[in-house]
Amino acid sequence: MSEADRSNFQPPIVEVEIALTLTELCQACNVPEDQVVLWVLEGVIEPLGEQPQDWRFTGGCLRRTRVAWRLTRDLELNAPGVSLALDLLDEIAALKALLRR
Amino acid sequence: MKFKDYYQTLGVERNSTQDDIKRAYRKLARKYHPDVSKSADAEARFKEVGEAYAVLKDPEKRVAYDQMGSQWQAGQDFQPPPGWDAGFEFSGADFAAGDGAEFSDFFEALFGRQGRRARSHRAGAHARGQDHHARVLIDLKDAYHGARRSFSLRVPSLDAQGHVAVEERKLDVNIPKGIRAGQHLRLTGQGAPGYGQGPAGDLYLEIAFNPDPLFRIDDRDVYLDVPLAPWEAALGKVVTVPTPEGSVQLTIPPRSAAARKLRLKGKGIPGNPPGDLYAVLAIVLPPADNERARQAWRTLAQAFEFDPRAHFKGGLS
Repeated sequence: MSEADRSNFQPPIVEVEIALTLTELCQACNVPEDQVVLWVLEGVIEPLGEQPQDWRFTGGCLRRTRVAWRLTRDLELNAPGVSLALDLLDEIAALKALLRR
Repeated sequence: MKFKDYYQTLGVERNSTQDDIKRAYRKLARKYHPDVSKSADAEARFKEVGEAYAVLKDPEKRVAYDQMGSQWQAGQDFQPPPGWDAGFEFSGADFAAGDGAEFSDFFEALFGRQGRRARSHRAGAHARGQDHHARVLIDLKDAYHGARRSFSLRVPSLDAQGHVAVEERKLDVNIPKGIRAGQHLRLTGQGAPGYGQGPAGDLYLEIAFNPDPLFRIDDRDVYLDVPLAPWEAALGKVVTVPTPEGSVQLTIPPRSAAARKLRLKGKGIPGNPPGDLYAVLAIVLPPADNERARQAWRTLAQAFEFDPRAHFKGGLS
């Protein structure tokens, strides 16, 4: 890439423009694949597509996966615990946003 | 270097059992976890607690730490005595919790060689470099117009001896118009270098907004408080209000109440669909600090048969 190309290059917004495969999501978050499969089965993250090889992770999956992994690693939560914690954290964030309006 | 009292950090006695230590750690980790706690020092506290636990949960490290004696106080100037760890055999196992984390100089001095190892890769193996993440702050107007921004990122890396060094690097990034807080930009090949002939990893930048003195942001919608004098709210008025795209004329309808939200459709963060901008009305009383002003309020009182507490009447005894 030339210097001019580099300075014009617009990096893609992951949540809008990119659908990550299982492998890409695992690389991006540095998480083992079997862990992500477990979270999908638990409904922590919801990919498009039926089979793991067809899964595409869009929208907030990247953020949710990163938080899920930190909670799993740091607090040793299991998948249902992570699922509950993420839902509650989302609810708290929504309520705080309401307060700020 | 200051001595760190890992027992004090976890709030346990020196003779606590491994179970006590685990329980104390879990409790503090839940309290200070940066994803859970929003207090400003949560991340620093969480790191301290993690470092203390990394030492005390491991019987080998705990014994080595203990044999320095209990005469040390937290914060006291400290140098490890020469050969302090002689005769201890470290397995160097189970260091997932410290993986990539930045532990203190104190920890490094004691456990640096055993605790951290530069990742060894088989000679000749080719592997893709790790993906990295960083959080960056932009201004609200950058999301309205797009912008080229320069960020300086701190990158921790392990040298051959396993010591952590923090390098700083500058990065110029084009911020796309319409980006919102919490979204990520992917910079291909800007993560960790690959091993052997392997490609470099990617860098993900998580976007957050600098606090704005005027505007509050909720996803793609933007909120602005618009203060009004009581007569402006009562009679209506066309007022000039700022937006991130420049000033607009806003019509305040007559008889507007405080906290009423007027929507400027599509004037939030651009996108498909764009967000909205909400003007939140607030009524501000002019100070009644001179006789002329007080007389004006009295005249106003006489002009109205107004009891703002009429609904209390039924309840008064």
